[in-house]
Amino acid sequence: MTNKNKHRMLRPETLTALGIILISGAFLAPAFELGTIAALLPAVMLIGLIALSLILLIGDQRAASAGSPPEQVTKSPKRVIGSFILIVCYVLSVDYIGFYPSTAIGIPLIAYIFGFRNLLGLVAASVIVVGAVYLIFDLGMHRDFPIGHIWMN
Amino acid sequence: MFKFIKKSLLTVGIVMAASTAMAEYPEKPITVVVGYSAGGGTDVMARTTMPFIEKYLGKGARIVVKNMPGASGQIGITKVANSEPDGYTLGTFNLPGMMARTLDRSVEYDRNSFSFLANVVNDPNVIVTQKGSGIKSMDDLIKAAKSTPRAITVGMSSLGGDDHFLLIKLQKATETEFTVVPFRGSAPARTAVMGGHVAVGIFNVSEVAKFQGELNVLGIAQAKRSSFAPDVPTFKEQGYDLINGSMRGVVAPKGLPADVQAKLEKAFRAASQDKEFLSSMAATANPVEVVTGEEFKKLTDELYSLAKETWETTPWN
Amino acid sequence: MYSDLLNSLPVVLTFTNFAVVVIGVLAGIIVGAMPGLSATMAISVLVPFTFGLEPLVALGLMAGIYNGAMYGGAIPAVLLRIPGTPAAVATTFDGYPMAQSGQGGYALQVAVVSSSIGGIMSAFALMLLAPPLSKVTLLFGPAEVFWVAVFGLCSIIFLLGGNPVKGLISACFGVFVSVIGSDPIFGVDRFTFGQLELLDGISIVILLVGLYALPPVIDLLETPLKTETDASKLGTEPIWKTLPRMKSYIKTWIRGGIIGVWIGILPGAGGSMAAFMSYNEARRTSKNPENWGKGEPEGVAASEVANNADTAAALIPALTLGIPGTAVAAVMLGGLLVHGLQPGPMLFRENPDVVFGFMWQFLFGAILLVFLGGSLATNSFARLLNLPRPLLGSVIIVLMLIGVYSINERMFDVYLMLGFGAIGYLMDKMKFPLPPVVLGLILGGFAEENLRLALRIGRNDPSVLFQNTTSLVLVFLTLAVIVGPFLKRRFFDNKKKG
Repeated sequence: MTNKNKHRMLRPETLTALGIILISGAFLAPAFELGTIAALLPAVMLIGLIALSLILLIGDQRAASAGSPPEQVTKSPKRVIGSFILIVCYVLSVDYIGFYPSTAIGIPLIAYIFGFRNLLGLVAASVIVVGAVYLIFDLGMHRDFPIGHIWMN
Repeated sequence: MFKFIKKSLLTVGIVMAASTAMAEYPEKPITVVVGYSAGGGTDVMARTTMPFIEKYLGKGARIVVKNMPGASGQIGITKVANSEPDGYTLGTFNLPGMMARTLDRSVEYDRNSFSFLANVVNDPNVIVTQKGSGIKSMDDLIKAAKSTPRAITVGMSSLGGDDHFLLIKLQKATETEFTVVPFRGSAPARTAVMGGHVAVGIFNVSEVAKFQGELNVLGIAQAKRSSFAPDVPTFKEQGYDLINGSMRGVVAPKGLPADVQAKLEKAFRAASQDKEFLSSMAATANPVEVVTGEEFKKLTDELYSLAKETWETTPWN
Repeated sequence: MYSDLLNSLPVVLTFTNFAVVVIGVLAGIIVGAMPGLSATMAISVLVPFTFGLEPLVALGLMAGIYNGAMYGGAIPAVLLRIPGTPAAVATTFDGYPMAQSGQGGYALQVAVVSSSIGGIMSAFALMLLAPPLSKVTLLFGPAEVFWVAVFGLCSIIFLLGGNPVKGLISACFGVFVSVIGSDPIFGVDRFTFGQLELLDGISIVILLVGLYALPPVIDLLETPLKTETDASKLGTEPIWKTLPRMKSYIKTWIRGGIIGVWIGILPGAGGSMAAFMSYNEARRTSKNPENWGKGEPEGVAASEVANNADTAAALIPALTLGIPGTAVAAVMLGGLLVHGLQPGPMLFRENPDVVFGFMWQFLFGAILLVFLGGSLATNSFARLLNLPRPLLGSVIIVLMLIGVYSINERMFDVYLMLGFGAIGYLMDKMKFPLPPVVLGLILGGFAEENLRLALRIGRNDPSVLFQNTTSLVLVFLTLAVIVGPFLKRRFFDNKKKG
């Protein structure tokens, strides 16, 4: 995104504005299916979002014509997407495999992938967190965490 | 930590147990699913009742209350309807709400999805006004409503609940019209009546029992007077044939083995005679009226027909 | 009534009844300090557990947790810009810049002293003024509450940040999120797409954790090479040396305390609104408003005093009328009911020992906060934040999951939180301000619900909104806040010309 030769419609702010307009537009359809009073506030908000995004879009395009460079969004998009995917994987694994095994493996794994390589530290963190959660929530408060869909049937 | 293994073994155990004899029921903890958060009225009912059911089931029976709050109880009751009918998953069941929801939205259960164990609480409706209000009796109320239709605002906890059904019955019986103001829950509605922001309120007797100094209670929708407010006359005494209320009971999924059903019903009946049970239910604002098995099913059917008729003639959304 | 208050004191001063307050405050600070965990979650986990406890033991724990968490939330707000509880959002405005400039220790000291003062004011309001203040609550019907919400929404103007268009987009997004769920009057589904889990609307905790905690976690993972957090240099001086410097916040404390108590006794508003309003008022009257948002300690004081002043005050309508002022008060009301304590005017007469004992516990909790939070807890938490960044990041992810899952025990909420996290990350990077989203969510649906109730009461005649003095005063206040700054500027310009 730092490439200045990229098309001006691909500037991050323009893309954001277009995204908001598209999503708000999509929500407008179910909004109009509601009764009149119930639809009023959501419809006003969606139209507001569309109008404001248009202002944002026009402003950014003007800036593009004036030749100002687009804002830099992130230094390392790959790491960002990677970390988000890892977090999603962890949550999915809690849901399907169960909270305790996922967390025991997840904490050291994520920390290792992102550069913390002290083996003892990894094991200690995993044991302390999982142990504390088990003691407080399970033994202390009788609260259950997901046991995992795959074990259910 | 090894709970997931334990639990998966347990699930295998359930399947095996279900296929063999159930003679030793209960041989493991029973879960009662409450579709509301911990500390809510239904939750308190369940948590107050269950120790007594444990006691009368005997054999060291253990009951665990599990909250699955959300969507006015529907998440919990749907879970109950879809679980194994082995007697180890029970759920709380509120009337007329649970039946009214089968009408005003699409749900994944109906009145035939359950084995009816016992209705425990029957909390009759009351009509109240602010202490300084000019409306002090049912006759005042009807006179005021007749003089200018829709001029009287009625605060209540929601549309399509027991409060609303009482109003619909009243409107039908007296040929009057009121303006319904549905708050979110009965406490804000009661406050609005006390502050004079709405003229009249419809609640359950347990919700106004502690506020009798601040409110005029015009009448109670039950055949007999309530011990929660013994000075309040019934509507019948005043010449209005209105009986309505909110009920809370316990159900199991459909297809419960007959011996398990019998054991549970017996435990509820025994609890209903227990003095200690009655006093702790009174302390937590729960008017008890235990009805078990077939009778409970009949009660549900009646309320369902009433809700259906109401929904078809005067839909509330 | 006041003799009951004194009579209940010995009961509270027994070992167990006092010890639980200490434990509660410590637990509350820890829960508040953990990004992802909130007071609402802690108390809702606790309520089923308290069934078997003596009433004052259970209530003491809750009072302690509530007080502790309201301060604890400031710790990650200052050190990581992750508000530990919804009410700590306004604390991030100046607390985080302070930490970045090496004043984190002082920021936390201001926070703990302000929290404690707010809590003490609130406890006194509850102890001495509960019956008259509950009469004030009665003045607020739907029309009046609608105006309160509008007044609160107006403070969004001051939270828009550098680019007002982006700020307004954030606000619209927040209000839109607030309408998801069943419609407040008819119960028709709005944007739930058949998901039962969405029917009750989106909990502020889920939104907050996603929006505020996930982006910093990704940042922690994104730049792993640096092993120290900015906040590791706290620059803490002993508290007796810094206390004299705090003298200048007395006005802010009094104002924030009154705002907190006032918001507390109104049904449904809550601590975050109190903190926002107190912050705005303090900035509006400040001599150097341009410093605000860049590390002005008075901003931390304003936010923290108000969010703690809201705690006990929220119990006034909860105990006397059965209407909880905040989500936490709602859960606590459940905790009371469990022990056969039914809210209402009779409560104070029927169970004076428990009710007044509970109030004492609130007061003690607020006082203990300074001692327990002051040096002990704060420093150890700051040290925890010195963990290597990837490790800290992965631990926070687990805490977020626990904090969101435990409220209703469902994974749906966790996925929802992830969705808000992704949105929050994009907003953060594209420089959309987050506070308007929070305020929009809290007040948008609240305003709509009360407006529609008011109109129903008035049978669709809008004049119902201007019918009584309370409404008119609120309308006037709202106008003063919006128009005030313009008039002031005009006045000064004229003066210069003349």
